[in-house]
Amino acid sequence: LISFIPRLPYRIQVPTGLAVAVTVSVLMVSIVAARISERTARREIVVTVQRVITLLAAQGRPLLVAEDTFRAYALLRNTAALLPDADKGHTRAAILDADGRFLAGSDPLRLPTGEQALGVSVNARLLPRAKDVTTPRTVAAADGSLSLLQPILSEDEKVIGFVLAEVDAATFAPDWMALSKPGLIGAALAILVLGPLGWLAGRRMAQPIAQIVRSIALIGRVDPAKVRELLPTVADIELGQIAGAVHRLVGEMVANQANEQRALAAERLAAVGRITAAVAHEINNPLAGLLTAVRTLRLHGDAPDTRLRTVDLIERGLHQIGTMTTALLPQARVEDRCLSPNDLEDVMTLARANASTHAVSLDAARELGADLLVASTVFRQVMLNLLLNAIKAAGEGGQVHAALYADPQTVRFTVSNTGRAMSKTELQQRLGTEGGNDPQGFGLWICQEFAIRYGGGFEASDPSAISPPFSTSLSFWLPNRHHHDDQEVAAD
Amino acid sequence: MRRRRFLDCIAAVGLPLVGAHASAAAPTLRVGLTAVILADQAAFLARWSEYLSERVGVAVTFVARDSYQAILDLLFAKQLDAAWICGYPYVRHQAQLRLLAVPLYQGRPLYQSYLIRTRGAANLNGWSDLKGRVLAYSDPLSNSGWLVGQAQLRAAGLGPQDLRRSFFAHGHSNVADAVASGLAQAGCIDGYVWETMHLQKMATVAATQVIWRSDFYGFPPIVVRRDDPNAALALLGQTLLRMHDEPGGQDLLRALNLGGFAKPAPALYDSIRSLVKLVHGAHA
Repeated sequence: LISFIPRLPYRIQVPTGLAVAVTVSVLMVSIVAARISERTARREIVVTVQRVITLLAAQGRPLLVAEDTFRAYALLRNTAALLPDADKGHTRAAILDADGRFLAGSDPLRLPTGEQALGVSVNARLLPRAKDVTTPRTVAAADGSLSLLQPILSEDEKVIGFVLAEVDAATFAPDWMALSKPGLIGAALAILVLGPLGWLAGRRMAQPIAQIVRSIALIGRVDPAKVRELLPTVADIELGQIAGAVHRLVGEMVANQANEQRALAAERLAAVGRITAAVAHEINNPLAGLLTAVRTLRLHGDAPDTRLRTVDLIERGLHQIGTMTTALLPQARVEDRCLSPNDLEDVMTLARANASTHAVSLDAARELGADLLVASTVFRQVMLNLLLNAIKAAGEGGQVHAALYADPQTVRFTVSNTGRAMSKTELQQRLGTEGGNDPQGFGLWICQEFAIRYGGGFEASDPSAISPPFSTSLSFWLPNRHHHDDQEVAAD
Repeated sequence: MRRRRFLDCIAAVGLPLVGAHASAAAPTLRVGLTAVILADQAAFLARWSEYLSERVGVAVTFVARDSYQAILDLLFAKQLDAAWICGYPYVRHQAQLRLLAVPLYQGRPLYQSYLIRTRGAANLNGWSDLKGRVLAYSDPLSNSGWLVGQAQLRAAGLGPQDLRRSFFAHGHSNVADAVASGLAQAGCIDGYVWETMHLQKMATVAATQVIWRSDFYGFPPIVVRRDDPNAALALLGQTLLRMHDEPGGQDLLRALNLGGFAKPAPALYDSIRSLVKLVHGAHA
């Protein structure tokens, strides 16, 4: 019941709780009253029996003298009605002769006329001998019953008989029905009144709670102002605290939503800026190589091979710019071919113009143990970015070494350079700035973005693993799959 | 309780008249009643008193006592004019008493004495079973309620010392009460009284059983002092003898469970005389 009650609504819980409380109170009061009543009732019963005995001793004396059994019986029968619980047969009285035999008893079947009463066990009670009863005696039995004896004296103080009263233990037992009846009636009346009142009180208690619950349920689904309107105004301290907390929660949610909106707008602006910068950067990177190719074409364009190769280079460079700018748009799907060994040559060609400008020694190597099944535009852009970044890091008179590796699982491009070293931590910090704040770092940021987007990796080698004279080695890899168009975008 | 109610009524109706007799000149006949009938019926006695008064021409009142001796004392002290007593006291005092009328019970002026036991006391079936038991008598001057019992105990070879206890219950109905409650295991009772109580479906009788019936004896008579010259007593006797001829008288007789009254002869009580001789001789 205890575990079941909390699952009931307040309008049931409150009246039920009140009813249980009243009933338990009545029960406790009845138990205490019964204990008190038992003690006082025992005294009162004994006093009443003693009074009856005194009356019988006085009225029975002439009958005892006359040995008038029937009139003694009539006296006992009528007087025994004064004994407590006599109607239930729990008390009885008798007049005994001087030898302790029954002259008559109020219940002749239990107090048989002429039979010995004193000095023997009667009704499971052992009474004292007649000669030992010279004053009133009370004999208590183990079962709680009592036998009261009073000698009847002649005018010259001789014992001529006795009055015996027997009180069964049941007489002293509390009458639970009588004791609890007033309490039960009171409890019933109280429940009758408290039931409806409790129901109303429970409903009144539950109403603001239910309203608060409804308001909380609407958070996030309706306008916060509407939620605030629905919140009840309560005088109760605890409910007021709950309502206040919900008010604050809604306020904080409104503030958070505004902040998120602002952050989103800022993020969008930042993203637009990053894309714009990246596009500009990616266009700018091959421009130096293309300009060199144009100069080459201008200077050596008469030679058909040179012209054709240079024009092809320019075409591929321009095509790369076009494809790259499209690839930088997050939702774009780019139709691209697979990387080829010539792409490494193109990229090296485009980078050499920059390397020569900075007087940097640039060479490349390749170890292709499998077909190159990665998107050419992405990989070309990464290779170019890493080479230009390495040339810049190597500085005047520095060295840059590029290497392209392929195995059935990955296609990896590694660029090592002399000059200022870049550790793994420094690379991560560099990438963590998102490049957007540092126009010089866009190349690395784009490599990182491509690695994430196409399920590859981009990392700096541990300094101990780098062969001298190089101080920095950056490595970019992509999964070597069947066809770049089948690649799933790992991150968008 | 019935006796107490009756005595209360008598105290209210009869006793003042007895007291008035000594000082008032108004002619009144006072009739003493004993336990030979169920005298504890004030309404009946009032009706009977009225019936007799109308026909005798003087007020007839009833005076009840719960012992035969008390009624005899009042009669011999001239506090009563007539008395309904048992055959045994009549026999004892027949020299001073004159028979006025005798009731007819079941058509004859005879009745029996019963020995009764508590209902269900299967091991008590006769006088010889009374050894170690408690026996209730009606009155020491009762034929059916004492004298017959004494003779039967003697015949059964039992003396007073063989009983655990015996006592007088001061009336036949009290004997039935004592036996029914278990105060006594057996009792000597007037057969007419027991049957009348049985007819009236009294609870105390229902709790008893008759285990022995005596021979027939002369029914308790209505007697007057032999030397009383009151002429109204003759009228009282004639009225009683004619009761069965009148509807009013028949109603009263029906209530008494009697058929009428007859002119008695002293020889009717010879069997009691024999019993007295037997018992008193034994006692002697």
